[in-house]
Amino acid sequence: MQLVKNILDSLHNASQKNKLLGMFKPVLNAIDGFFFGTPHVTSIPHIVDPLDIKRFMSFVIIALIPAVLGAIYAWGLRVIAVIIVSYLFGGLIEVAFAIARKKEVHEGFLVTGLIFPLILPPNVPLWVVAIGVMFGVLFGKEVFGGTGRNIFNPAIAGRIFLTIAFPQIMSVKWPLPFTSGLGGFVHYQNSVDAVTSATPLALFKTQMLLTPYTQLFFGQGTGCIGETFRIGLILGGLFLILLKIVDWRIPFAYLFSVAAFSFLGNQFLHTHFAPPLFQLLSGGLLLGAFFMATDPVTSPFTKQGRWIAGVSLGVLTVLIRGLSGYVEGVMFSILLLNVFGPLIDLLVLKVRYRKKIVTAQK
Amino acid sequence: MIKRSKTFKGGYIFQRYLSNPLDTLLEQGIPEKVIIPLAQGFGSEVKLLVKKGDKVSAGQIIGRDDENVSSPVHSSVFGTVEEIKRMNYFKRELEMVVIRADKTQKDYLRVEGFNPDWAKLRQEELEKILYLSGVTALDREGIPTRFKSSVIPPSGVENIIVHGVGSEPYNISLELLLNGKKILNLIDGLRILNTIMPGANMYLALNSRKQKLLEEINKIAVKYKWLKVVPLEPKYPQGYDEMLIPTLLNQRFPYGYSAANIGVVVLNIQAVLSVYEAVCEGKPLIERIIALCGPGLKEPLHVKARIGTPLGEIITPRLNEKLKSRIVLNSLMTGVKLNDLTLPISRTFSHLIAIPEGDKREFLAFMRPGLRQQSYSHTFASSLLPFFNKTADTNLHGEERPCISCSYCEEVCPVGIIPHLLSKYIKRNMIDETLMNYNIFNCIECGLCTFVCPSKIPLLQHLKEGKDKLTMQGCDHAQCILPYFDMKGIEEYRGVTKL
Ligand code: SF4
Ligand code: SF4
Repeated sequence: MQLVKNILDSLHNASQKNKLLGMFKPVLNAIDGFFFGTPHVTSIPHIVDPLDIKRFMSFVIIALIPAVLGAIYAWGLRVIAVIIVSYLFGGLIEVAFAIARKKEVHEGFLVTGLIFPLILPPNVPLWVVAIGVMFGVLFGKEVFGGTGRNIFNPAIAGRIFLTIAFPQIMSVKWPLPFTSGLGGFVHYQNSVDAVTSATPLALFKTQMLLTPYTQLFFGQGTGCIGETFRIGLILGGLFLILLKIVDWRIPFAYLFSVAAFSFLGNQFLHTHFAPPLFQLLSGGLLLGAFFMATDPVTSPFTKQGRWIAGVSLGVLTVLIRGLSGYVEGVMFSILLLNVFGPLIDLLVLKVRYRKKIVTAQK
Repeated sequence: MIKRSKTFKGGYIFQRYLSNPLDTLLEQGIPEKVIIPLAQGFGSEVKLLVKKGDKVSAGQIIGRDDENVSSPVHSSVFGTVEEIKRMNYFKRELEMVVIRADKTQKDYLRVEGFNPDWAKLRQEELEKILYLSGVTALDREGIPTRFKSSVIPPSGVENIIVHGVGSEPYNISLELLLNGKKILNLIDGLRILNTIMPGANMYLALNSRKQKLLEEINKIAVKYKWLKVVPLEPKYPQGYDEMLIPTLLNQRFPYGYSAANIGVVVLNIQAVLSVYEAVCEGKPLIERIIALCGPGLKEPLHVKARIGTPLGEIITPRLNEKLKSRIVLNSLMTGVKLNDLTLPISRTFSHLIAIPEGDKREFLAFMRPGLRQQSYSHTFASSLLPFFNKTADTNLHGEERPCISCSYCEEVCPVGIIPHLLSKYIKRNMIDETLMNYNIFNCIECGLCTFVCPSKIPLLQHLKEGKDKLTMQGCDHAQCILPYFDMKGIEEYRGVTKL
């Protein structure tokens, strides 16, 4: 502890003397705040909740750990390299903007930097990761004014950009996961030429094949880095809901409406719509429902708005999966709902506050 | 009849904090000198009746004004008037009477006309005793009598709510206030109030977690048809008039005005006990029981102190010298910080809370497991192990960050407004009718939104700012209230909860 303090103090002194170093003040402050907390005190009320944004975000990361471990097991140690690249380049943009704005570095990026790699295909080239995360942070967040003001979830913005810019890389080659022994914990990646296979959703779309549920559940299917170890995602998601970090309404409404509408679809058009349980357990749905649709900044903040958003997400996802040319619809639906989130809130508020006045006049 | 405990939407139940006051009561004794403000509790400043050099007795009325809404003020000790000065007392310029006390005389003058067998007294006599004893000044709107002690006459009262909910982080001990025979005194106090305001329904709202007390009181209360005992969840801010009225009476509250304006009198337990003491024992309001709480004290307990005793005399010797503490009056959520300990205590004091000033930094603060942390979320070990008492200090526990729209503030807001939305409007300087439409004037300034915010945004401060700016632009809270309520009370005092 003393050691960290000494290093920080000397850095502080250096940054005060040296102009160039002085620019990095926000970074120093962030590190300082990270280690030593705050000396600020309250006014009124005299006591406040000890929960802060650092802890808030840390718990999202903790909740993702099972999924990350599952991903490493399935896809090899390369996953770690992908995560590091994502943090490094995304962090670069974040810091650059903090310096330019002379504001502090905010913690929200810690989550984006981890979620982004999880929604990429396992064999994505590292340079693509770098480009994607920089785009996502830049255009998904910073152009709107930084954390708290962004309309889009930066990770999704980055991912959609990559899908459009590099469709080949992003959707064609899906390696098979490790499934036995120590698996990916002792390998860098599955040999590049290993048999590739389509994702379960694509298999259904092209050949009406249903991948066994246990395979989907325990991460033995193909898919993006973080989306296949589904038991881990479910546990992580429930953990966050129990801690009140995310609101249960969005994931519940989302998953429930996916189940309901795919059931309906499957009844009438079973060549296009897969059965409910398969839909729930395939693609990026669980990752999206628990970790991305719930991002408080970009989802509606009113309770009713959250229900509306959850249900619309479900409908959209099922429709895109079933009727469009795309295989997966989670990312697009969430991006679309990001756009309409503020509008939904506005409508909800309109209704809520008009009702008040009517009852008041009675 | 005990009913199922009612409650309201929003709010937050504080788990037990460290150093809640023990059930012991110490006598503070007679101080060297007392400083008595001429306006205490509800009522405007009264006219001085003594002059420098006068000998006064404990219980003697030294200030009185029968023309305006007020109650008499007494000397709390035997002694000599040493000085009369105007000074600043909690944001008001007030006349203060400084009395050098004779420490040997512990007695006091009884209020004229008191009678242990109060049932023999007529309504008018009861009102007179209450008025003369100064008890009528207690709580937010006082107790109505024919002597202009409140803004409405006794006949205008439709409901009386007496509460001991204890929803604050630190609460005076109900067990102490009501130990032994005091329960009977409380009931007698309620009956006296019922005699004065016979038309009113009476509600006794108590903390639903104090089952023993509730049962005991209920055994006696069943005899009286006009009295309802209601258990309430100790959810902050249940003790506020604004919350008690909707919960108990299913009535809307005219936010920004007082309960008296809709014919309700809200009193706390200590006030009713004072009613009993005044009528049956002839005791004027010269003493208060004050709960001393918080980890900044050596030992948290209750003291009985004469009004006018300087704060420092009560609290300084009991502070833990090793800690730098902040001393707060009455409530950690809304109370003022006491910087000047030479100020005296008045009739309105009930709690003095000392919590350590948290200006020290903590290594890796955000990663602590938090066995003793009080948090709205469940991210601390304390959620799993709730039986550990929680610590309190004034550290902000994190840096201010942009709002992430987590909606915690909306969930806890007891009046159902959306603090983060309003705060964003106000910070962008968009001050217009939209704010009023979003019910900004309903905010009762309970401070819960600021308490829960993980981004450490001072929402309450923003909302206050917004209200002030709106009022300056000519948008008044009256516009949101007056058209919908049939307001009672003396017009010029409407909307004034503290005179
Ligand atoms: S201070 Fe006002 S806005 Fe905040 S929680 Fe209390 S009533 Fe709601
Ligand atoms: S509690 Fe704070 S961060 Fe959460 S919505 Fe309210 S203002 Fe925003």
